[in-house]
Amino acid sequence: MTFKQTALIFASILLTLIGLGCASKGDGKIRITIWHQMRVDERLILESQLKRFMVLHPEVLAEQLYKETEELRSGFIVAAIAGQGPELVYGPSDQVGPFQVMDIIMPLEDLFDKQYLDGFNPKGLTYYKGHLFQIADKLGNHLTLVYNKKFVQVPPQTDEELISLGTKLTKDTSGDGKADQYGLVWNYTEPFFFIPFMTGFGGWVMDTSGTPTLNTKGMVDGLKFIQDLRDKYKIIPSEADYNIADILFKDGRAAMIINGDWSWSGYQKAGIDIGVAPLPKIVSTGLWCAPMVSPKGFSVNINVTGEKKKWVAELLKYLTSPENEFETAKELNTMPTQKVLYENDYIKKNEILRNSQMQIDRGKLMPVVPEMRAIWDSMRPSYQAVLNGENTPEEAAREMQRNALQRIREMNE
Amino acid sequence: MKNWRHNAYVFFLVAPAFVILIGVVIYPFLYNIVLSLSNMSLAHIRDWKIIGFQQYTKIFTEPSQPDFYVVFLKTIIWTVVNLFFHVVIGVSLALVLNQKEIRGKAMFRTLLVLPWAVPQLIVALTWRGMFNYEYGSINLILTQWFGMHPIAWLKSPLEAFIAVIITNVWLGFPFMMVIALGALQSIPHDLYEAAEIDGASWYHKLKNITIPLIRPVMVPAITLGTIWTFNNLNIVWLVSNAGEPSDQTHLMVSFVYKAAFNFYRYGYGAALSMVIFVVLLVFSLVFMRKTKATEAVY
Repeated sequence: MTFKQTALIFASILLTLIGLGCASKGDGKIRITIWHQMRVDERLILESQLKRFMVLHPEVLAEQLYKETEELRSGFIVAAIAGQGPELVYGPSDQVGPFQVMDIIMPLEDLFDKQYLDGFNPKGLTYYKGHLFQIADKLGNHLTLVYNKKFVQVPPQTDEELISLGTKLTKDTSGDGKADQYGLVWNYTEPFFFIPFMTGFGGWVMDTSGTPTLNTKGMVDGLKFIQDLRDKYKIIPSEADYNIADILFKDGRAAMIINGDWSWSGYQKAGIDIGVAPLPKIVSTGLWCAPMVSPKGFSVNINVTGEKKKWVAELLKYLTSPENEFETAKELNTMPTQKVLYENDYIKKNEILRNSQMQIDRGKLMPVVPEMRAIWDSMRPSYQAVLNGENTPEEAAREMQRNALQRIREMNE
Repeated sequence: MKNWRHNAYVFFLVAPAFVILIGVVIYPFLYNIVLSLSNMSLAHIRDWKIIGFQQYTKIFTEPSQPDFYVVFLKTIIWTVVNLFFHVVIGVSLALVLNQKEIRGKAMFRTLLVLPWAVPQLIVALTWRGMFNYEYGSINLILTQWFGMHPIAWLKSPLEAFIAVIITNVWLGFPFMMVIALGALQSIPHDLYEAAEIDGASWYHKLKNITIPLIRPVMVPAITLGTIWTFNNLNIVWLVSNAGEPSDQTHLMVSFVYKAAFNFYRYGYGAALSMVIFVVLLVFSLVFMRKTKATEAVY
């Protein structure tokens, strides 16, 4: 083969590739991409809603792309800073803080009229530094007490009832000295699951200025309470991560589990007759165990401009319309953000959604500041050290505070 | 003129690969060096600037959570122990499989390669379940078959570290076995016959024929294995559930991952990754030189 022939072949291949690369998949349509971290069942509903939107608006090509949470965040940061990325990014509200600091999402209050925004539960609109950055279609991501109705007829209202019921339901049926059924399980490894105990004893993760408040009586008492559940009352296993807790509950070897709204449909599909109840009240403080509540919704990439902005707003409006939110709520037992749906008979009469609503009302909104990352990461090792018996609750609380302050300082360097 | 045309022709053929190499290796590497000298972080993602070697100074002098030197030492132990078992188990099995008398070689080979063929995510999560204190199969075997006390594999730092090493040893030996088997099969059989005529024992044949002749193949494999093991994120991250217990099961790479992606400390993370690069570069150069891996043996 001569030099000329080879060059010709290479040039043809190159031109074909360039041609393919430049060919618009949307065929002149306005292309809108959504990156999200939705579960499969949520994804299927989103897909059908996007299809319906495209039937209504044939000039738009709306696509969705699943990414794992961390991959979505880091990928979106890199893409948006480079002037690229999806038009819409979907996730829990805690991503708003870092995205806003990096200036990669746009304020939304000018994109939508007041009447539209007034239709939302205020918890579904995430404001940061005075601007609206996320509009949610679901409220929650919150923990509740999920119980198996085969074992529990009336869920516990207080910590004392929880202990008493848990003691009755923790059983050693084989007589080998080890429990074969536990009263209660949850994921011990993540501090997110510890928050309700901390708030039940009066603690919280940060003050209004964003400074961590981890070395408090509420934290210490919450940690001691968990230690007692395991070592004194022995109603929880000595070790459980998310999978173990989940399997124990699904296998009928745990009567109650503390888990989030994402898990309910899975338990129902597994054939368990579940009940969902708000987490109990701590008698000594008179406070309800309050989980973190976070809306999940859409933010708009800062790089969206011109005509596309109008269509992105239109799509966002469509996806958060009462009809579409109701479809998701009915299918997945998620709490909608459109206020009008709170008067809907189905939602009012659905026991799970009613109790979920009660738990959301008692919950505390998850802070969206980027410093939350440092707080989680400082809580995790010390919390685990207490559960492993390597540290006292008092020392763990001091360590958490010290580490959180150091990490926040490092993050803001 | 002909020489120029020939060079241009070669350059033309190599150019596409070279362009890709620049895009995916050279440019990111140079960019990483620049980042490691910068203050890029959450607060300075758009207005970052070059600050010299401050990030490197921070790595070596400022306290961190977990401590840099402890993580570094653990990474060295992790790499050495893993490589030792990968090579010993891999070469031993290869020697066994290379015996003529073994029946059903193909089946054994397939079975032994299985750990390598299963996706790492599945392997890691399965082993994590097996290490559970109450319900894990390992503790059930230890308690019910051997009458031992259950071990808190994932709750104590030492045991958790041993647990991730066991998982990675299981996952890593097939690679060394396959490489060693290939090398063993390329050794001319008449060398062994000549040694037998001279009355050489099994040990002498291993020492004077087998090991020297598989060395040129094994040394690059060990070098590669070292780099892979040193940089292994999946197994440690998944089996220890991101550093459990209490952030005490971290390696250098998970340390970098946390700095860069959990805390948005891009400059610091880039500097840490350059430290890893230098460590591995020095190791590879010294190891290749000491073992004379690139010298011809035949």
